[in-house]
Amino acid sequence: MIQRLFRLAGGTVLVLAWVAPPAAAAPPKGAPPPGKARTIAELAARYDSSSCVECHQEAHEQWERSAHSRPIFGTGRTAATFKTAVMNGLLKWEHSGVKSQKDVRVEHLQGCTKCHLPQLVEAADGVAQEILSTIDAWQAAAEEGDEAATDKAAKTLKSLNINCLVCHNRNAIIHKWTDGSPQPGTVYGGSAEGEHPDPKFPRVAKSPVMGESILCGQCHGLGPNLELHNPTQCATGYGSYLFAYIPDGGDKTCQQCHMRDSGLGHDMQSFRSEVMAKAALDMHVEARAYVWRDNQTFRPMATVKVELHNKAGHGLPDG
Amino acid sequence: MPVPQQLGRGDRMGRGPYEKSGLLVDTSLPPRRTVTQNWEIRFPVEETENEDGETVRKYSTDQLELDIQLWYQPYGTPDDDAVLWRQEKRTVKVDTSGL
Repeated sequence: MIQRLFRLAGGTVLVLAWVAPPAAAAPPKGAPPPGKARTIAELAARYDSSSCVECHQEAHEQWERSAHSRPIFGTGRTAATFKTAVMNGLLKWEHSGVKSQKDVRVEHLQGCTKCHLPQLVEAADGVAQEILSTIDAWQAAAEEGDEAATDKAAKTLKSLNINCLVCHNRNAIIHKWTDGSPQPGTVYGGSAEGEHPDPKFPRVAKSPVMGESILCGQCHGLGPNLELHNPTQCATGYGSYLFAYIPDGGDKTCQQCHMRDSGLGHDMQSFRSEVMAKAALDMHVEARAYVWRDNQTFRPMATVKVELHNKAGHGLPDG
Repeated sequence: MPVPQQLGRGDRMGRGPYEKSGLLVDTSLPPRRTVTQNWEIRFPVEETENEDGETVRKYSTDQLELDIQLWYQPYGTPDDDAVLWRQEKRTVKVDTSGL
């Protein structure tokens, strides 16, 4: 114990004493690192944005219709692809360190979750395994026709999503040495700054990139994710935007087409949306018939000319 | 569509995101560009041989109903995820008399 005496006015003495903490005991084997979410439920609770709904009802309802509300589950095909990545990838690759699903760590899922669930890096490895076992449970229940179990597993998977807090906090600041890191209790928007009437998030601040394409580009793809030990490639839309659309004179942002011009707001959609499909391209068809002559042989022919003009800010299709 | 390269090497296409790295070819529609495609379609014909060994052609119709469909196939195949983006119909007619 260390003591220090401070003589204060009037001769009183303040004794400050502190005791050195005992040497930290080694964490038990397998225990998650401190501060990491240990379960899907804990991670979902950490990113609970339910308090946003009261004031932002319309945005919430729009978001619920978007793929951002179910990035792990998708249409079911996304969840299945998580499993395929393990079965056909990690388990077969000699140097992955994965001999069974129990060996899967958060790092192993980064090829998918870098975008499908960026907050997974704030979870312990057990959460990566829980995601996979929940997908197993969902697939097994679906095969057995157990509707209740299927719905329960799907609901668990959908509890992990790209919600308000991912775009308006976690990913709202990209250049952290320039702009600082996103602060807890703060929601980031395009312009407003000051107080925010939510006890959980009492401050609102300006994100320098909220209206910029780079915000979306964090996930929507330059090409191979070369920073990973085993690079993956999902979307290439942002790469096409940067290296084809912009050089050709394009000047719109992702948000302009997918949120504002479409009228879809936070229901950001792509090829499945009638609105986006209509906006994406113009098709012009010309057709006529004629008689082809090959020496003495005449053959009636139809000729069809189709012009497709891509009005999107990226190649169609993307992938 | 952008055809991804398997693990960024060789001439094989990769399928799952976990094995895709790079592109082999890209047949997608480039942004802000117009792509034109032409099709030549023969009218259906029945060919027979007459007694003199000559080919006789009989056209069952002088009119074709053309159904032009543009599909978005996210996985490159006409599966349940494919979406019909555009559809236009055209009728073309030709004079087959004397052919």
